[in-house]
Amino acid sequence: MIESHMHRLVQMENSGLINMIVDEKYEDLGRMYYLFRRVSNGLVLIRDVMTSYIRDTGKQLLTDPERLKDPVDFVQHLLDLKDKYDKIITSAFRNDKTFQNALNSSFEYFINLNSRSPEFISLFVDDKLRKGLRGVTEEDVELLLDKVMMLFRYLQEKDVFEKYYKQHLAKRLLSGKSVSDDAERSLIVKLKTECGYQFTSKLEGMFTDMKTSQDTMQGFHASHGSDIGDGPMLSVQVLTTGSWPTQPITTCKLPAEILGICEKFRNYYLGTHTGRRLSWQTNMGTADLKATFGKGQKHELNVSTYQMCVLMLFNDADRLSYKEIEQVTEIPTFDLKRCLQSLACVKGKNVLRKEPMSKDIVDTDTFLFNDKYTSKFFKVKIGTVAAQRESEPENQETRQRVEEDRKPQIEAAIVRIMKARRVLDHNNIVAEVTKQLQSRFLPNPVVIKKRIESLIEREFLERDKGDRKLYRYLA
Amino acid sequence: MMRRSACASKKTGQPNSTNPISCSPSDLFRTASSKASSKEMERIDNLFYSFANRSSGMIDPEGIESLCSDMEVDHTDVRILMLAWKMKAEKQGYFNLEEWRRGLKALRVDTVSKLRKALPELEKEVRRPSNFVDFYSYSFCYCLTEEKQKSIDIESICQLLDLVLGSQFRAQVDYFIEYLKIQSDYKVINLDQWMGFFRFCNEISFPDLSNYDPDLAWPLVLDNFVEWMQAKQS
Repeated sequence: MIESHMHRLVQMENSGLINMIVDEKYEDLGRMYYLFRRVSNGLVLIRDVMTSYIRDTGKQLLTDPERLKDPVDFVQHLLDLKDKYDKIITSAFRNDKTFQNALNSSFEYFINLNSRSPEFISLFVDDKLRKGLRGVTEEDVELLLDKVMMLFRYLQEKDVFEKYYKQHLAKRLLSGKSVSDDAERSLIVKLKTECGYQFTSKLEGMFTDMKTSQDTMQGFHASHGSDIGDGPMLSVQVLTTGSWPTQPITTCKLPAEILGICEKFRNYYLGTHTGRRLSWQTNMGTADLKATFGKGQKHELNVSTYQMCVLMLFNDADRLSYKEIEQVTEIPTFDLKRCLQSLACVKGKNVLRKEPMSKDIVDTDTFLFNDKYTSKFFKVKIGTVAAQRESEPENQETRQRVEEDRKPQIEAAIVRIMKARRVLDHNNIVAEVTKQLQSRFLPNPVVIKKRIESLIEREFLERDKGDRKLYRYLA
Repeated sequence: MMRRSACASKKTGQPNSTNPISCSPSDLFRTASSKASSKEMERIDNLFYSFANRSSGMIDPEGIESLCSDMEVDHTDVRILMLAWKMKAEKQGYFNLEEWRRGLKALRVDTVSKLRKALPELEKEVRRPSNFVDFYSYSFCYCLTEEKQKSIDIESICQLLDLVLGSQFRAQVDYFIEYLKIQSDYKVINLDQWMGFFRFCNEISFPDLSNYDPDLAWPLVLDNFVEWMQAKQS
């Protein structure tokens, strides 16, 4: 009896299945489930309609540029959606496993429609770990992290997530901006459980470096404490190359006032760690400057290393041209312009004045110390902002680096497989490689083919002389 | 210098006579032919030195050019490449004595005019299916001039394809050359891709490409070529 009306019931304009889902009519949904269960394709129908609805709305969300403007908001929306459907399945569909699976596959489908999803999920986590989780109970923190892990599991490109996560984590650690060390570590453990030791070993390396640096600083202060006296207080984090995201080497001349203590530290460190090389990462540091303005107002400015270099110049001069600043600091042009913009063109943070007062920084600008600066806060933060979504060109660059990183991984998988199998046909290699790498990313079959050809060229593999579909491993 | 058969006569006082043991007619024949062959070898060697560079002791590109002009064959003619193949010459643009001897002996020639006359026969031999694959792969390797070089630039590949396969597979070569020049995925072609194209010409119906199966292990450059052809045709 139900069978003949099944489709009509489901499709009904204002009270059909979809409306029930949207309006969260759990009772109605529960009743529908109960009834349709008695009919041979009843549940399949409900499931299919629900699945295609979820996929469509998910797809819309993932491709809507408005929605994608705020990554944190976007991911929150995803989590809310997941919660909503989970609730429907638990309360109305009796936790039916097939419905759970359909939900999972739908989410997996549309989350990967947008190549920025991994970045956005990392930005969401970054936001939470910076401030979002402040004051939240440990239990609720765990709950949120578990939900994030669920989204993470849907990602096809987990290696892209890893890249962004590393970048964002580095920023958090170095700026000391993490809300909870425990929360950070808890997430790492979850990632490790999900993806294995390799995935998280570098991330853990970053934590280790932070801890080791603390110990190093203690040792340094203990041995040099008396020397410092009035001078600047130095705090150094020594980062092991390889664990941290790669940074380009940038030029920058540190102000004379701190060169002394920097040298002292360098000698101290190299004295206890022979055979190592240290290089100052001037594009990653921060400084707290005590500033006194025109009417004697004192403020503490939290700035980046670059900003410090620029501001210190104004101890000896009231006005400086762009060219002069560039010459003395040796900061690269793009960074210098961004730096000066943040010091002179942002309301509430304009400790410098610019002539002319235009919005952009040009070579002919002149900068003056703004003794009329005021702020109701004693401590003013002018340093570089928290992690933000990448600009298009930055995103392209990261994409390229990810693609480059994937090539050796694919090759290693091919070699492993061929070493074990000795002889294998093309389609099977592609299938095996895909299986081996699926926990990190979904390899493109064309790229796999290219890597095979590269391995043939380098004489790791050869084509079988008889059967053209086969490849042979060359010992 | 003559080698006396030891049994010709028991002439005493011959300071250069060899073992005085009995001999047979075949020995006589062998002697005669080795006499002839040593004469031939001499002529071959002399011919070599007439083209060779004094100081390097090898025939260099200049020498090859004059050889070609003597034979009235252009030095870019495929038959010169075939000659190099016959000689198993290793270095493009150069023949050494060993290679020269090998080639000319196999062709049974010892003068320029005989060499010229032997070219049609040589071409027939090379084009025999059993030999052509070998010649085809040889021609690629012959163009690798640097020590660790494994690939050849697109421009040279196009010329080589035309030279080596142009007469046999005109259509395929023309289209493939056109494709190679406009694509940007590959700046060089390696041996695997080179051989792949030959197999393609032999096995795949052209220009319909109806029996091309992209799931098989064809080199990627050919997958892309086929895609391009199909797009052109639709």
